[in-house]
Amino acid sequence: MPKYDAVVIGAGNGGLAAACRMALAGKKTLLIERHNLPGGCASSFRRGRFEFETALHELCEWGTAEKFGACRQTVVDDFGVDLKGHIVPENFRVITTASDGKTKIDATLPCGQQPFIDAMEKYVPGCRKSIEDFFKIGTEFHEAGDYSLSVNGKTDPAYMQEHYPNFLRLGSYPIDKVFNAMKMPKLAQDIMGTYWGYLDVAADKLSFLQYTNMVWLYVTYGAWIPDKTSHELTTGMLESFRKHGGETWFNCSATKILFDDEKAVCGVETTCGTVETKHILCNANPTMVYANMCPPEVVPERMVKLHNAREYSARMFVVYIGLDKSAEELGLHDYSVFMPESADSVREYQSGKTIKDNYNMVSVCYNTVNPDFSPPGTCVVSLTTTFSGDDWANVDEEDYFKTKNMMANRLIDRFEEKLGVTIRPYIEEIEVATPWTMCNFVNTPQGSAYGYELSGWDSMMPRMMMMGTEFPVKGLKFVGASSIRGDGYNSAIFSGNTLARKTLSEMKEEEEG
Amino acid sequence: MPEVNYKVGLIGKLDMLKFKNMPKVRNAAIDASPSTPLKGIEPTNEKAKAHHPKQIEFVIDDILQNGPDAKTVILKKKDGERLPLFRAGQYISVDVPIGTTHTTRSYSICSSPALAKEGIYHITVKRDDAGFVSPYIQDNWKKGDTVIASGPQGHLYYEPIRDAKKVVALAGGSGITPFMGMAYAIRDSYEDFDLTVIFGSRTEDAIVYRKELDEVCAACDKVHVVHVLSDEEKEGFEHGFISADLIRKYGGDGEFSIFMCGPQAMYNFLDSEIAKLGLRKKFVRRELFGAIKDPWNQPGYPEEIRGRTFNLHVVQCGKEYDIPASADESLMVACERAGLVVPSRCRSGECGWCHSKLLSGDVFIPEKTDGRRAADLDYGYIHICSSFPASDVAIDVPAKPVDTQ
Repeated sequence: MPKYDAVVIGAGNGGLAAACRMALAGKKTLLIERHNLPGGCASSFRRGRFEFETALHELCEWGTAEKFGACRQTVVDDFGVDLKGHIVPENFRVITTASDGKTKIDATLPCGQQPFIDAMEKYVPGCRKSIEDFFKIGTEFHEAGDYSLSVNGKTDPAYMQEHYPNFLRLGSYPIDKVFNAMKMPKLAQDIMGTYWGYLDVAADKLSFLQYTNMVWLYVTYGAWIPDKTSHELTTGMLESFRKHGGETWFNCSATKILFDDEKAVCGVETTCGTVETKHILCNANPTMVYANMCPPEVVPERMVKLHNAREYSARMFVVYIGLDKSAEELGLHDYSVFMPESADSVREYQSGKTIKDNYNMVSVCYNTVNPDFSPPGTCVVSLTTTFSGDDWANVDEEDYFKTKNMMANRLIDRFEEKLGVTIRPYIEEIEVATPWTMCNFVNTPQGSAYGYELSGWDSMMPRMMMMGTEFPVKGLKFVGASSIRGDGYNSAIFSGNTLARKTLSEMKEEEEG
Repeated sequence: MPEVNYKVGLIGKLDMLKFKNMPKVRNAAIDASPSTPLKGIEPTNEKAKAHHPKQIEFVIDDILQNGPDAKTVILKKKDGERLPLFRAGQYISVDVPIGTTHTTRSYSICSSPALAKEGIYHITVKRDDAGFVSPYIQDNWKKGDTVIASGPQGHLYYEPIRDAKKVVALAGGSGITPFMGMAYAIRDSYEDFDLTVIFGSRTEDAIVYRKELDEVCAACDKVHVVHVLSDEEKEGFEHGFISADLIRKYGGDGEFSIFMCGPQAMYNFLDSEIAKLGLRKKFVRRELFGAIKDPWNQPGYPEEIRGRTFNLHVVQCGKEYDIPASADESLMVACERAGLVVPSRCRSGECGWCHSKLLSGDVFIPEKTDGRRAADLDYGYIHICSSFPASDVAIDVPAKPVDTQ
């Protein structure tokens, strides 16, 4: 039986990062992936003369040429991936109705703290101090994070209290409570909350700590996209893994995890044969793995309870459109436009539970940032919405194509209406991905892309604080969106990298006996 | 000390305690949750799995002669359940084991989407005596045999958001099959558009699906058929090849989309005819090009390799093989000849199912069938169905996938 130091199940961002880290450390590592491509959600596909980005809107934590963000450090510095891309100059445009139900919002927010603060003051006179303070708090959070990393998570409470008191005082609250405490005007809160969809948690449950971290990173360092779609990023990581001696089996599914008498991992059964290993870094969904791939006696009751307590997050619906006119000709100037019905995220989240009520949408036009994203005289637009409930389970096979097109038409109509543009006559290629499509390609439960909901008790911070007890089955750790930091490319890569490092230190302990 | 200081509760110290207590709160939420066994599959996933099966097991329900050299095979799902609904025009990729060779071929589903409910797809196999697979199927397949195929694939279907309301379909010989599916779909209200099929056959006797086409046209005023005979001049038929003039004549003055399906020679001919119409790319769609059998006729082919045989080293999920590979055939065919089972669907370089890593060596990839992603070119990934060896070559190929729980 072939024997590996570690087996990585799933080649999503988390799995790829874990695989790279293990191979880089000289460990004999096998990466198995059920699909024939790396990336999971982070991929691309071709139709006619277009190549479509499957998932990425903006890559967070990439930093600048002078100061690399943590994600870029991992991918470029550590893994040696050579990537070309573009900086996204604006954070977002949001077109919606304020949570008062009356005021119309149409705001475009640029990157960089000062331009962002100035723009906010322009849209909501009098909000300047609260926005300035928001970024100061964000800076404090980042310093707290850096400090925590520098001491390997063994933080000194007194030092924390002295230097990062806001982190400790605000870190357990959702954004609506903190924004109120900061006396941020409601209209400013509406705009500041725009990114809630990136985590798919409404303002009343969305961790201020996590959200601020994300917004601070996007605004301070800007966002980034690879020139040749996510496929460039994920194939790059795969190549780094190969270069360092990693072995990959594509179209190969793990079917069973094997355990020894001590209930520790001793191997993996796959559709391409059984292999021996003591360490699995798993990018597949934990609930599915515990339920389908582990004998019940090895799964601690606490894990069963934990996963019964959790909700899946963000079932994806995306319309990919290739247009036979340039962005300029069509009057598309914005990269990313958020177009919820209302800035009231609690209401929007609720509407997102059903196909009937979901009118939320984010659009991206890649060519506004990367003019060469598609052939000259063309451009690519994607329209995305997420479902906060499992309504696609109620669609009948016989109605599937009709439902898909009805939803796609809704998004196209709204895009044209909200932006005052015409795209329909120029649609050369169109593809629609539903939660069923996600199930098919990445096999996540309910077609969710964000793992488990990062709401309240199960948000990033408590997950991170409890990392030590999060993976109680010996030799089995989970990476990716369902892991310690939740969704987002940077968070998935962070989880893969971090849990691979943890695995490496466990290996060292084993060797030292 | 930081320059800003906020708290949410009345007492900052309590806010800090709340932070410290987050693990406690989380543990309480976990403790309060039931320990009922975890659900191993969600309803959406079950539906998606039925809609997107990796493979389907059929039995041959019947085989019907269709014109002089074509046979229609009625496939019924083996477990008696319904089949996935498909977009009329889509194909299935059928596994064809012949001796030790495991190959596949794509056949359009030429029956109505309505029959999917009853677990039935029809495919039509036209005999090509020079071919490897079609004579084998015609001579060997019989009622009651098991056939394995992919789920519905491909993109030659009517998309109301994208296409003109009128479709002019250009069909050559057995290239009629996707349009049969579309005609039935219109008749049975699964699709709503006007379909005019310009159907090229050699002679009147060689027309496949003649009777069925006449029946659909009679039953449904949205479907029209124009027969074009290349080798016969007859009353009531157009004569010659499908040309720009003929397309203009039947396309009419309004907007229309062209869909094409037929042999490669037809596509090559039509390329220049359609160019005369000055249509936008969005209005011209074609079925898979098919496997290129004459790489030496493709631009850029390194002539010196023609007829040569190279060594092909194949790495596949922990196993390694060394096999011969002719420069005249694709790497996929070399694998299949050697008895390897590799993933294969469109065999035209388009679908990417056989996406593989080129570990070393040179390959020739005809531009016409290069459907790779941009980053694949940088990182040396190829579609083996459309790559021809130009030296000794080593590749890492995926397994042929199987459905799992």
